[in-house]
Amino acid sequence: MTDSHDRFDELLHDALRSYNHPPGDREMPLEDMWRSIEGQAFPARRASRYAQWLRIAAALVIGVGIGRLSLARGAQTRAAAPATTPVTVAQRPSVPAEQPAPQLDPTTSRYLGQAAALLIALPAEASGGRPDQPFMKRANELLLTTRLLLDSQSGNDPAMRNLLEDLELVLVQVVRLQKEREPSRRTELELIQQALDQRDVIPRLRSAASEYAAD
Amino acid sequence: MTRTAFALQTTPQVNEPELIARVLAGDRLAGRELYNAHAPRVFRLAYRLTGDAELAREFTQDTFVRAFQRLADFRGDAAFSTWIHRITITVVANAMRKVRRLRERETDLADLDALHPVHSGTRRLDPDLRDRLAKAIDALPEIYRITLIMHDMEGYTHTEIADVLGVAEGTCKSRLSAARAQLRAALADFAKEYES
Repeated sequence: MTDSHDRFDELLHDALRSYNHPPGDREMPLEDMWRSIEGQAFPARRASRYAQWLRIAAALVIGVGIGRLSLARGAQTRAAAPATTPVTVAQRPSVPAEQPAPQLDPTTSRYLGQAAALLIALPAEASGGRPDQPFMKRANELLLTTRLLLDSQSGNDPAMRNLLEDLELVLVQVVRLQKEREPSRRTELELIQQALDQRDVIPRLRSAASEYAAD
Repeated sequence: MTRTAFALQTTPQVNEPELIARVLAGDRLAGRELYNAHAPRVFRLAYRLTGDAELAREFTQDTFVRAFQRLADFRGDAAFSTWIHRITITVVANAMRKVRRLRERETDLADLDALHPVHSGTRRLDPDLRDRLAKAIDALPEIYRITLIMHDMEGYTHTEIADVLGVAEGTCKSRLSAARAQLRAALADFAKEYES
């Protein structure tokens, strides 16, 4: 090999090392990446047994409530409607006629509206630091409701399920804010905002809320 | 060519079989430990292959999500590091095909001209060489490019690359040799300047 060939190889080698040169370990977004990975790879596993029991218990309570409401409304309808009125409650195929889906719609619509309101209020709530206790309590309640809905018939609708899953991820991050300290809380807030923007969560929530309300 | 010291054997000393068992049992802290042990090298490789921080981040995330979701399929025949690097290569190669198709549409004629030698005679400057080299590497067949990046830039051994890519070591060596030859040919006018 000639000297000029060696010199050219050295030059080539130096140039090669600069090709798509990655940042150092400290500059890598390792924490941000982990949050995203954790959210996608571990969401089901994160639920504790306590949380699972809580879900079951809450589902039972809501089920009983819906059942009572159905009976009461059913009695009113039977009393008020003429015998020829068609039955329209069985529009969703998986819902039995005894528990008509429209009974849940106002509740779902209200819940979706509340979730949108909470997320819209988040930047202002968090601007002075940690959001206050009532806000966090509300976020916790909405997270619980989201998970209940995911386990309910509402979760059977692919679009609704998709929205609920996105919402669950965002609410988990919101709830986690109470444990974060500065500056990681600020980073977490930015990530929440990014997630909201990238997935159009708030516009989808509003749209779904109005659709359910219009049902 | 000399090589930088980044390779699979630099994996931190963690009891991986135990960690994997814990992850399978739902322990996300164990998942975090596995991630800590491998994420920097996966990210480095993804960055080298894409040259884009956002894409490297997205592909690293995708790699680990897939790895955790398919961890039950990992039988331990190969090292975990080999397995996760295989996933990385698959994720990046598949996604970059789409990215390249999009970029190709945006490439104008001036960029295409830059791939070919220009006989102006005043290009001894490093930035020019770097730029030309980058374009020449981008133009390599993907399997050559991956081999070159893993070996000459990230310091993986031929044995490691062969394991990750599922080929014989000899194949790996001949691909590297071919990649270097193509680069030399693409930069022949620079080499001539050094000879003159």
